[in-house]
Amino acid sequence: MQVTDDAVIRTHKLSKAFNGVQALKSLDLEVRRNSIFGFLGPNGAGKTTTIKLLLGLVRPTSGSAEVFGHDIVGDTIDVRRRIGYLVQDPRYYDYMSAREILRFTARFFYSGPAQGIEERVQDTLDIIGLADKADRPVKGFSGGERQRLGIGQAQVNQPDLLILDEPAASLDPMGRRDVLAIMERLRERATVFYSTHILDDVQRVSDTVAILNQGELIAQAPIAELLAGSRGTVYAVEVRGESAAVRARLESQPWVVDVQVAPDTDGAEWHVSVSDASAAEEQLLRVMLADERTTVTRFGPLAYKLEDVFMDLVEGNGNGS
Amino acid sequence: MAASVPLEVSSDRGWLVGFRNMVGKEWASWWSTRRWLVHLVLWLVVINGFLFLVGTDESIARGNNPYSTMSELLQVFFLVCGLFALIGMVVTTQSDVVGERQLGTAEWVLSKPVSRPAFLLSKQLVSGVSFLFLALLIPSVVFFLQTMIHTALQPPLVPFLKGVGFHVLHLWFYLSFTLVLGVLFRTRGPVSGVAIGSLFAGLILPNMVPSVVMWTPWGLSQLAVRAAQERPLPEDWLWPVATTVLWILLWVLIALWKFEREEF
Repeated sequence: MQVTDDAVIRTHKLSKAFNGVQALKSLDLEVRRNSIFGFLGPNGAGKTTTIKLLLGLVRPTSGSAEVFGHDIVGDTIDVRRRIGYLVQDPRYYDYMSAREILRFTARFFYSGPAQGIEERVQDTLDIIGLADKADRPVKGFSGGERQRLGIGQAQVNQPDLLILDEPAASLDPMGRRDVLAIMERLRERATVFYSTHILDDVQRVSDTVAILNQGELIAQAPIAELLAGSRGTVYAVEVRGESAAVRARLESQPWVVDVQVAPDTDGAEWHVSVSDASAAEEQLLRVMLADERTTVTRFGPLAYKLEDVFMDLVEGNGNGS
Repeated sequence: MAASVPLEVSSDRGWLVGFRNMVGKEWASWWSTRRWLVHLVLWLVVINGFLFLVGTDESIARGNNPYSTMSELLQVFFLVCGLFALIGMVVTTQSDVVGERQLGTAEWVLSKPVSRPAFLLSKQLVSGVSFLFLALLIPSVVFFLQTMIHTALQPPLVPFLKGVGFHVLHLWFYLSFTLVLGVLFRTRGPVSGVAIGSLFAGLILPNMVPSVVMWTPWGLSQLAVRAAQERPLPEDWLWPVATTVLWILLWVLIALWKFEREEF
């Protein structure tokens, strides 16, 4: 792992055990400033434990971590002054309204003036789309409205680091879209560290991803690097007509590593692994179209889905059975 | 999202971080909701309603001897109504910590820049002051008016206030005791069970082991009655007062120590 000077979060062999059960094992993580960092893993992988450790809500069994250079145990208040946090299942005081919740949250960060705090609260209500329900008790809020309020209270202090634990879990597609938009907007001035199960969202907005499984970090990389995978460059080709001869000719090329039929395509789609991407770009299609009995209906580099990479890594790490 | 009025970043340090905000929130939970009204009505009915019945009965039974009726009313106010208030204090504050932990609001609040002592002490302070106001101060004022109805007399003010002082100390002991139990236990049952069990032990044990009142708050109700009735206090009355103050400090310190190590 390359250590950079602009790390917002840095953990060193961070570990946590609950009653002898190891929830997090020697985690070494680095989150760079202004990144949107997706923190992935199956249930019980240790994601929430990591987040709670960073916030000082639980104490490490061993190891250490710094957030903005502050130790998470000794300087926990200084850490929390710069963080906005959305808990996985947001709960609030039911008798309070959304405005009161935001005001209460803002006053942990700001001593005044009251007018400035009220303006900030109103701005936040506008952003999260709860201005029209601002003065109703949150007792009557739907799950989606609570989640919006959660995002609002997490950003009311304009944090340098936003930690979101499953931010879109209980939202409808429009709510999810709004959350992703907020995250992208915040990237300009803040770092976003979020855990989620919704891999499509991660692929859409994250620039760096870490995958945790059974308390262990099994991957951490920029998302483009992770999606490239360990299989090298692979082209997806959809063919019609006579194909056996074309396949044989392809396999004889020195820059072709392997030709595989993609699953569930009735032999119509091939995945061609190549060792030389530029040679493949120039010659692959030409080699295939040399046989007039063959028609190529689709051609291009294979776009991996994060879900595939995630499943490969997690199952390879012993959680797939 | 740019506020036109510049905001001042909070500069509180140490255990005071977040304290003012927490006090404001706790205060609002008592006085900006119907909670205060419920308590006010409850304690006026329970304490002053009960005293009205006793006063009516006593003034008839004692042949309208006002001094005797006054003495009886003071005894009932501090012993019987005092017990109601003590139980009420336990029931009211039992979920101050347990409830927040169960609901998940403690985790949310403690993820903000607030010290854990501020979280706990704000509850103790506001619950104590609010409860004392609603379950002791207002019923005491009404009690003064009631004595006029039943006896045409008023209790002597300074002795009565001394009695109230003993009662405040007794209530604050159970407030602190409930606080520490709320930190130690995860559910309401053991919190109220142990605290109310201790209250009833305080009714029984002093009869079996009289010296126990020196080291516990269990003799404070009797001291309150004697003070209010202008009877001389025992020579060693300061012992239970001092030990109760020490108990309160001990409970608060244990609560703070344990809560600092809690995980959410």
